Amino acid sequence: MTPRHSLLSRFNGLAVATRRGAGFFLAGLAVMALSGAAFGRQQAAPISMDIGDEPGRVATAEQIVEEGPFARQLVFFRSSEPAGTIVIHTNERFLYVVQGNNRALRYGIGVGREGFQWSGLVRVSRKAEWPDWTPPPEMIARQPYLPRFMAGGPGNPMGARALYLGSTVYRIHGTNQPETIGHAVSSGCFRLANGDVIDLFERIAVGAKVIIRHGASI
Amino acid sequence: MVSAYPASLIRAGIPAILVLLLGGCGTTIDEAVVTPGALTERPATIRNEQLIGKWGVASYREEKDRKRVEAQARAQCRLPYIIAKGPSDGVMMHLADDAKLYELRIKGGSDGKTYLGPEAPPGEWQDREIISISEKEMIMRFVDPEVHGRYGTFIYVRCPG
Repeated sequence: MTPRHSLLSRFNGLAVATRRGAGFFLAGLAVMALSGAAFGRQQAAPISMDIGDEPGRVATAEQIVEEGPFARQLVFFRSSEPAGTIVIHTNERFLYVVQGNNRALRYGIGVGREGFQWSGLVRVSRKAEWPDWTPPPEMIARQPYLPRFMAGGPGNPMGARALYLGSTVYRIHGTNQPETIGHAVSSGCFRLANGDVIDLFERIAVGAKVIIRHGASI
Repeated sequence: MVSAYPASLIRAGIPAILVLLLGGCGTTIDEAVVTPGALTERPATIRNEQLIGKWGVASYREEKDRKRVEAQARAQCRLPYIIAKGPSDGVMMHLADDAKLYELRIKGGSDGKTYLGPEAPPGEWQDREIISISEKEMIMRFVDPEVHGRYGTFIYVRCPG
């Protein structure tokens, strides 16, 4: 089985939509370098997808999670944080944007796989559209055929948008693998379907507070 | 030498399906791809020695990114891609999505282009097209439109030393 066959066979049934109706979502795995991380790594997530590290597949920016718990939706969310704050619950695979009045906009996310999860308080330090991608050295060691740098674009594993988290190597970014939303697949980054990360990107300003909670529950 | 031919056979039918799927996605895949088996081989004007060495490698999909990606390729010499002489008449390189090294051969095509790939007619799906080459830089892309669509065009900048 080739890597791409393997990826296709692992689609987990999430309802994913594209406005063009193409239904095509081969994807790449966005993995970030981890060295220098200032955060403690904690216990493994219960779900982990064993997906091979492939570079970005061509996919549309319009892909969103359309149905189920990981679809973008307004939810009850008790919080004293100001509106515009991002709260990430790693164990739940949810990212919340606090709206005030005990409401939040909730997005389904993919999170760090076993050993790559973290918690902390940071701020959005930068935003980028179609960010470039530099595979970390350990990824090059596993996949020596990869380019050492890939310009941003539809084939790039970073997806359509990225929000950089403080001075860490972690980001909230898009993905061309919407089937990984709800799973522990990354090296510590938080991924949303491309259409959802575009929506988030437009709501969040540089400087926004980001709280990452691991092991929290509603 | 590790034979790449079985993988070639397996992959042969995939690109056509993927091309159909990609059709509605608005990608920037270059249309100028050859039909496998349509070419006959001519003597190549590029020699193995021109490829052998250490290279910084980066890729781009849109022409507007080319200059800055070229600079990025140069910066990637800290993690170079090494092309070595093969045991037969080729060079040792990777195919797309495959971590194994294969001995690849430079092939001149009857379309006037130069290809690099396993033992098969020029322009075969696993081949790269060598778009340009100089002492300091070479540009290649995969013939397979699906693979090219994902990876884009590769720039190799020769590393010092």
